[in-house]
Formats: sequence, C-alpha cells, structure tokens
Amino acid sequence: MAVRKLALFAVAAVAAFACGTTSAEPTTGSTITLGAPLGLTGSLTKESQLTQQGYNLWSDWINARGGILVNNVKHPVVIKYYDDTSNANQSAVLMQKLITEDKANFLLGPYGSAATATDAVVAETNQIPMVEANGAAQSIFNQGYKYTFGVLSPANKYLQGVIDMAATLTPKPTTVAMLSADDNFSLEVANAINTYAPTKGFNVVLFKKYKNGATNLTAEVQAAKTANADIVLNSGHLQEAIAINKAAKEQKLNAKIFAYSVGPSTPDFITALGADANYVYDGSQWTPQVKYTPAFYLTESQYVAAYKAKFPTFGDPDYHVAESTAACLALQRAIENAGSLDATKVRDALAALDVTVFFGQIKFDSRGINIYKPMVVEQIQNGVHHTVFPASVADAKPMYPTPNWDQR
Amino acid sequence: MSDFVQLVILGLLAGGVYVAVGVGFGLVWGVLNIVNLAHGALVIMGGYITWQLFTALHLDPFLTLPVDAVALFVLGYALQRGVINRIIRAPLLFTFLLTFGLNLVLVNLLLLTFGSDFRSVTPSYSGKGLEFGSIVIPYVPLISLGAAILLSAGLAFLLNRTRIGLAINAIAADRDAAQLVGIDLRHAYAVTYGLGAACAGVAGGLIALIQAITPTAGEPYTLQAFVVVILGGLGRVSATVVGGLAFGLVEAFGQSLPGSGSVFANAIAFGLMVVVLVTRPQGLMGRLR
Repeated sequence: MAVRKLALFAVAAVAAFACGTTSAEPTTGSTITLGAPLGLTGSLTKESQLTQQGYNLWSDWINARGGILVNNVKHPVVIKYYDDTSNANQSAVLMQKLITEDKANFLLGPYGSAATATDAVVAETNQIPMVEANGAAQSIFNQGYKYTFGVLSPANKYLQGVIDMAATLTPKPTTVAMLSADDNFSLEVANAINTYAPTKGFNVVLFKKYKNGATNLTAEVQAAKTANADIVLNSGHLQEAIAINKAAKEQKLNAKIFAYSVGPSTPDFITALGADANYVYDGSQWTPQVKYTPAFYLTESQYVAAYKAKFPTFGDPDYHVAESTAACLALQRAIENAGSLDATKVRDALAALDVTVFFGQIKFDSRGINIYKPMVVEQIQNGVHHTVFPASVADAKPMYPTPNWDQR
Repeated sequence: MSDFVQLVILGLLAGGVYVAVGVGFGLVWGVLNIVNLAHGALVIMGGYITWQLFTALHLDPFLTLPVDAVALFVLGYALQRGVINRIIRAPLLFTFLLTFGLNLVLVNLLLLTFGSDFRSVTPSYSGKGLEFGSIVIPYVPLISLGAAILLSAGLAFLLNRTRIGLAINAIAADRDAAQLVGIDLRHAYAVTYGLGAACAGVAGGLIALIQAITPTAGEPYTLQAFVVVILGGLGRVSATVVGGLAFGLVEAFGQSLPGSGSVFANAIAFGLMVVVLVTRPQGLMGRLR
C-alpha cells in the first residue's frame, strides 16, 4: 500500500514537473504568413529589391529566434512575395490574392506611394493590417483608412531638413529653385517646400514640374540656371536625380546647395556619377550614423553588420532597407502587444504602438503615418555619405558652399 | 535671346539620341513592316555593352560604338533568321505579340545578368563643354549628335550604294517582284533586322553616356522611336534624321514652358505627331508610296 502511494506520488510529481517545464518553455505554434507584392521586375526593381532585403533581414532574425512570441507560443514567420512588375494596379490584385488564396495573416507594404495607395484599399476592405515602409505620400493617409500604417516620415518632411540646415549656414543662401516630378509623392515633397521655405526666410524663385520618369531634363536645368538660385532642390527619384546632376554639370548650373529628395542616399548614385556626386545633399529617413536607443532588435551598428554579412556586395544599407525592416519590427511588436493573431486586435495594437528601434521612434498619428521620427540630412563628401544635420546625430559638418563645377 | 539659342542647341543635341534610336526602328518598320517592340531592349543591350567595356577595359565609350553595332547586328540577324522570320507574312498583330515577347525575354535576361542597378558611363570629359559667353555646348551630347549623324549617313550609304542595300530597297518596294529577280529574301530580311539592331546598339551606347541605364530603361525609347519615324516619314534615313531633331526641339521647348509645361512635353510631341499624320501623312520628309 505504501509502495503504491509512493508510486502515485512519484507519477504526480513527474507530471507536475513536466507541466511546469511546458509552461515555462514556449511551444511552437502555427506559422504566420505575411504577404508583400513587390516590383521585382519593371521600373522599381532596384528599390523593391532593397525593400525585400529589409524584410528578409528581419524574417531571418525572428525565425532564428523561433518566431514571434504570442502568449508563450512562438509563431515562425513566412513572407510570401509576388512580383507586381512595378505596376500599382497589379500590386492591388496580388495583395487580394495574398489574402484570399495564400491566407496572409498580415500585410507588408509594396514599394512606392502609388502601389501603397492601391494596396491600402485592399487592406481596408479586407480589414487586414498593412504595415508599410515605402509609401510616404500623405494622400494615402488622408483617406480615413484604419488598417494602413506607415513607419516612415511623411513626404512633406523630406526636404524640410535641408531648408532648416540652410538657415544655419553662412553666408546664408536666400533663393530656392524647386524642380519636381509630377507624381503624388514628389509633388507633396515639393509643395511642402513651397509653403515652408518662405517661413524660414527663403524666396522660392522657380517652381517647375516635369513628367515622372523623365530622363532628359536639360530644359528644367536651364530654367534653374536662368533663375540663378542659391539652392537647387529636386523632388523625384533616383533616375531623375542622376539626370539633373549630369545636366547641371554640362550646362554649368552652379548653386550653393544641390539637394535631391530621393536618389543620393542609394549607392547607385555614387557609382553612376563618380566624383560628380560629391557635395550633393539629400533628406534621408535614416542613415547608418544615427544614434537611437533601441528597445529591441539590433542597434544601428549591429544592423549595418548584419546587413553586410547577409548582402556582402551591397555596402552599407540605405534607408529603404532600414525602413522596411522597421515595418516588420512594428508589426512584430504590435502582435506581441496584442497577444493575439486576430487582425483587429493587432490593428488596435499598431494604433497604440510607441516604441524606439534602430530606425528611430515608431508611433502613428490618427491617420496611421509616423510623424514623430525626424528626417536627417546627409551629404556625399569624397564619395562617402555623411550625416550633416541635425547636429545632434551628425558625424560631419556640411561642406558649404558647393564649389563651381569648373573649380572641382 | 541667349536662353532661346541655348534651348535650340540643347534641343538639337538631345535630338541626336532620338535620331540614333529612330533610324534602326524606321528601317525595320519600312522594309519588314514590323513595328519592332523589342527595339528598346536592343537599345539598352548596346548600352550595357558600352558600360561593360568602359568599366572593365576602360575603353573610351565612343570607341565602343562599333562593338555595339557588330554585336547587335549578329544578335539581330540571328533573331530574324531564327524567330521573327517565321511570322514575317502573318498579320501585324502577330508581329506585335512576338516582338513584345522578345522584349520581355531580352529585358529579363539583362536583369538576370546585370541586376537592376543603375549604370552610367561617365568618362573624364563628361560634363565639360564649349562655352561662348553664357551659351554652353556640352561635349558628350555634341559628339553623340555627330555619331548619330554619321550612323545615319553610313546607313544611307549602305542602303543606296551597296548591292545588299539595293536588294533591301527592292524588297521594300515590292517583295514578290524582288523574289522573282532572285533576291534571297531570308538573308536580306535578316540583314535588314540586323542593321536595325546595330543602329539600336549604337543608340544604346550613346544613351549610356547621357543617362543612367537599367534593363528596363529602353522601353520609353521604343515609343519615342515610333514618334520620330512618323514625324520624319517612313522609308528614308534622312527623313528620320529630321524627325529626330524635330522631336528633340519640340521636347526642349515643351519642357521650357513655364510652370508645368514639361509635364505636357510628351503630349505636345504626340500632338504634333497627330497633326503631321492628319496634314502630311507621309511625314515631314517622307515620300508617298
């Protein structure tokens, strides 16, 4: 009898011990599927590739840890990609396919404001949260959508940092020539300058729109030369930034500051232009030099190292990569905070999110865009990107004024 | 006034590239009756050859143009002989489909080989130029215009003064009669397409000097070649030269309209094309057939 009691006690003890370990050690749960249409072919191939790198860096990291922890269950992550051929309408079709056929739990954004705008409609009608990192046009966020969240600073901030920086320089530049492509995003950047620059004491002497994707911008550059502005700003994309810089040299357009919204931050800008890329400024969502105190994931320097280890031929990660990783981090933290894979609960957790990662603070305003993270200004100096403004995160001083073309 | 002169110069210089892109397209269209939607892909292939030779062997980009021409001629000859010739007498829609498909294949082959990075050929004299007071004539577009004119002159010479050129002209005039007098149609067709591709290759080499290229950067040039050929008129090389220069000028002045004029630069060029089609269907310089 005593033996039997002892045996029962032993069984109970083992069982209790076993239960104890299972409640402390997370189990592995269902796989979370994330869906992302990207322009893997077509005109946005380069930027889409950088976006995909950012997503993959995070998915490797989270899966190496077993997955996203929800109520002590680790859910591995799979990101399902489709090629939208850089076509915004196709992107929306594929987003719907990801939801209905691939049963994506959550969505990651495509590349570019145009595709993000069409995809946001799909996210909204299906009530599945989409966290995006590459659509900065505020027009996306002014529609009253509840399921689209952008971790990046909105378009109107892109070149304001350059104006703020210019106001601190001596001799102070006074006139601005603003060139802009005619897509939504570029126009928001440019229009913001049109209203912001005068408040800082600058005079916008030229405001000129051109066709998005134009490769021949000689007449625009000629107009800027005639306007004789101290600051030449361009709001467009990489292709147009390269075209403007080439034409500026050919046509001897000399200005104290050349700053382009998008383009100079990518390594291609320097490889395509060589020494002519020097002195060019751009507004950047992020640079490898910024210093934030991350609540989780990697620090800036660890992030750069992780990127270089995975993509050894690419140099430093540019901001497209960083913001894409940041979108994943926002989604991860929201899922953890929600303690659920339920789409509505995760949406609410995203709306309430306030966390700082290597990319900066991630917090959404009531429209779903991150207006809390500052933009930085970087300048290419001797073929290397340096952060030059604001001074608190800068690693170099602006090289100002830009010398004339024939004195370089 | 100096602004006006500068714009005229810039427009004509920009026209050089359009001339180079247009002549090959016009030849293939005029003789083979194929609107070659793969033209832009062939253009960009030439661009990549120039870029590769410039970065790997440090050859002067203008010296690589003959290499572009020869390489693309071989490719074009093979494409015509092996693929396009099979549908040469099929309705126009089939040639559209086939060349559109070829365009996709070529672009994606380039994407696989070179990736989607922006590539640009920037020689030491890039950006430098002649200066007359406030008027600037940059070297690269100037030499490009010269190269495009030379290319057109060479093509015109070949078409009007050589045996194979006369054969090509004969086919353009009457395919069946040409065959009756013993012209080897398949060979002449393939040479024609090869010549068109060679011109595209040279145009690509020039484009790599002027803008940053990616595998997809050729697509707009197919459309521009189409407009240039219609503007100038089908069937004569000199007509395409006029069309290309006119297109460059129209674009420059369209872009220089105040405010958002540049947004409509393309619309203006296409509008002009429609006007030409309505009033002079044979083009500015074309001959009625």
